[in-house]
Amino acid sequence: MTETPLLHVDQVHKTYTQGVLNKRVTFDLQADFTIEKPGIVGVMGPNGSGKTTLFELITGSNNPTSGQVRVCGQDIHQVRSDQRDRLAIHYHQSYQVRHFRKRRPNFMLQPSSTDYPKVHLFDEPQFNTQDGYIGFMLDFFRRLREESRLVVLCVHPNEPFHLRIMQEICESFIFVQKGRLTQAPDFNTLLQNPDVTAYLGELVGSQAA
Amino acid sequence: MALFEARHLHKRFADQVVLEDITLSFEENQISGIMGPNGAGKTTCFNVLTGRYRPDRGTVFFDGKDITGLPPRKIARHGIARSFQMMNLFDEYTALENIVLALPEVSARGFSMTHNLAHDVDAQDRGAAVLARIGLGGREHTPASDLSYGQRRALEIGIALAAEPRMLFLDEPTSGLGTDATATLATLIQEIRKSVTIVIIEHDMKFLFDLADRIAVIHWGQVIAQGTPETLRENEWVRTSNLGALA
Repeated sequence: MTETPLLHVDQVHKTYTQGVLNKRVTFDLQADFTIEKPGIVGVMGPNGSGKTTLFELITGSNNPTSGQVRVCGQDIHQVRSDQRDRLAIHYHQSYQVRHFRKRRPNFMLQPSSTDYPKVHLFDEPQFNTQDGYIGFMLDFFRRLREESRLVVLCVHPNEPFHLRIMQEICESFIFVQKGRLTQAPDFNTLLQNPDVTAYLGELVGSQAA
Repeated sequence: MALFEARHLHKRFADQVVLEDITLSFEENQISGIMGPNGAGKTTCFNVLTGRYRPDRGTVFFDGKDITGLPPRKIARHGIARSFQMMNLFDEYTALENIVLALPEVSARGFSMTHNLAHDVDAQDRGAAVLARIGLGGREHTPASDLSYGQRRALEIGIALAAEPRMLFLDEPTSGLGTDATATLATLIQEIRKSVTIVIIEHDMKFLFDLADRIAVIHWGQVIAQGTPETLRENEWVRTSNLGALA
């Protein structure tokens, strides 16, 4: 028997529609991937591509239209809502927190199998060169990884050094665009994707220089 | 065991994670620092440590006693004082009156018609002694509103010291202070550390690196690094960023 993967996003679809009688799809996110082992995964993509929605689906705060998210083997949406952050934890971008209606009361759901989160999702952490905090942040990501946790780092790079940080710290990548995901096993493979180079634009050139 | 210990503190505001598994300890007679970028959870951490908020999980020990979830006034009675990021003074009262009102025997008595504070020489002497300690000797009869910003900050610390605490928490003491006032404040803190254990929350790295014996860096509601200022300075990014040049 193989080990339980840390994170399994199993054919998750999230569809947002507009209108009651004449439903029109306004946004559609499709994700299907597995991360077996601890590591640091970089998520990049334009604003509005679905990065934060993906994080919300993984932590269970948002509900998928279809599909399932398994964290350490547990279906996150079947775990008590007050204990989901013991499996997967979402560090929101400043105070941008969306609230969702809870579907079922906690007594009908399972407790979390762990006490401390295994999956850490960082939503656009602020990297500011003016202070020394970047160094402590990178050390912290590495420490979590050494403690056998999965770190997912979502960044929308604006500066060449943002890309340098991602290249230095991340072991693999996921590129999100218009609700579709592309995985890349390393930084060079990521840059071979023409969509990625188009998205990064000038940052790639200045980064190589 | 350290004088003050917090173990595995968790705090949530609805879906927002504010503190995640914070473990900290502060040794007696040391200056401990807590620093981190804006919005990292420093003030929430401070409020949980000093009893303003109750943690969702975790425990807080002071001098071997469990003080988790006690209301602030009971925590204060254990000998823990705190300052606020906002100024908390009676503007129309003199510096001395501000201190005298905070003396334990005066505040314990509450407002009393029969006791005239103006004739309580003992309380006034003790208040004057506190003022001298914080460098405001000679300003006894100046209304608080006429003091400079730095002197008001010192007076706030004096109010906390009037209760003769064993431990003093300072929340962003340098906020709003210029370079000179910050230097004066650092001298004041060096002076009072002889008699009280101090914890300072601060985002000004330079100030803490010069003062603190140990520093914990908080971000995302967690301790992401800790150590002496020397060990923290060895971090490559700290050395290469602006701070490295300053420190």
